[in-house]
Amino acid sequence: MYLSKSRRRLHCCRHLQEDNRRTMEKTHKPKKVFIEGPINPEFVAKSIASHQSKTGIGAHAIFLGQIRADQKEGGAVAGIDYTAYEEMAEQAFHDIREAAFTKFELTCMHIYHSLGVVPTGEISLFVFVSSPHRRAAFEASEYIVEEIKAKVPIFGKELVGETGQHVWKENR
Amino acid sequence: MSFQVKYFGMLAEIAGLSDEVWNAGGELTVGQFRAQVLDKYPAMRDKKFKIAVNRKISEDFVPIEIPAEVALLPPFAGG
Repeated sequence: MYLSKSRRRLHCCRHLQEDNRRTMEKTHKPKKVFIEGPINPEFVAKSIASHQSKTGIGAHAIFLGQIRADQKEGGAVAGIDYTAYEEMAEQAFHDIREAAFTKFELTCMHIYHSLGVVPTGEISLFVFVSSPHRRAAFEASEYIVEEIKAKVPIFGKELVGETGQHVWKENR
Repeated sequence: MSFQVKYFGMLAEIAGLSDEVWNAGGELTVGQFRAQVLDKYPAMRDKKFKIAVNRKISEDFVPIEIPAEVALLPPFAGG
C-alpha cells in the first residue's frame, strides 16, 4: 500500500523520538527539539542506526554544530549557555520543518538543539535529513541550518575564561 | 490595559528579570511600547532587539491587542 508522504514522515519521526527517549532518559530531558546540555555523539550514532529499516532512503545528510573556542578579551570561550523563547522556538522549528518538507524530497527530518551549557568542542545542533537521493539531502540540510540561525529565538551566552565573564553571541 | 512582557538574553540581564506585567495607560502600538521600555530601561537604548507579540515578530505600527504576550528578543544565536 502506498503511504502518503505525511504518514511516512510521522512514522519515521515517532520511531526516532521513542529511541531518543530511551537513549537520553538518564542524562537528558528531551523536549521535542530541545535537549538539556550537549548532544551526545552516541545519540547521533543511534539516530543513524534507527533508519536502517527505511530502505527507501539512499542519502542522509547530517549537520553538527560544535562550540568553537573563539578568543575574546578575557580569554577563550569555554562554552555557551543557551536559552530560548521556547514556545516561539518550537513554532519556528515546526514552520522550518514544514517548509523543508515542501521544498525538498525528504523521507525524514530530525532537528535537535541544546539548551543550557554546552562546553567547547561539544555538539549543540544536530540536523539530520534523509532522502532517496543526495541532492535533496545536501540542499535541505543547508537550508534548515540557515533558517534555524536566522529565525529561531535562541540566545547564547559565551562563557569566557574561568573568571565568570561572558559575551552574548550573535549570528551573522 | 496590561499585558505580560518577557525579556531574553542580555535584555533580561539589563531588566534584572525575565518577565513582568506591563501596565500601559491606554492602547499601545509596538513602537509606543518600545519607547516606554527604553524609558524604563535606558541601558537597552544601544541594544538591538525585536519585539514579538503573541510569538510573532511585529513591526512598530502593529497595535498590541490584549490578551497579549510581548517578548523582547535580542539577536539570535542558535546553531
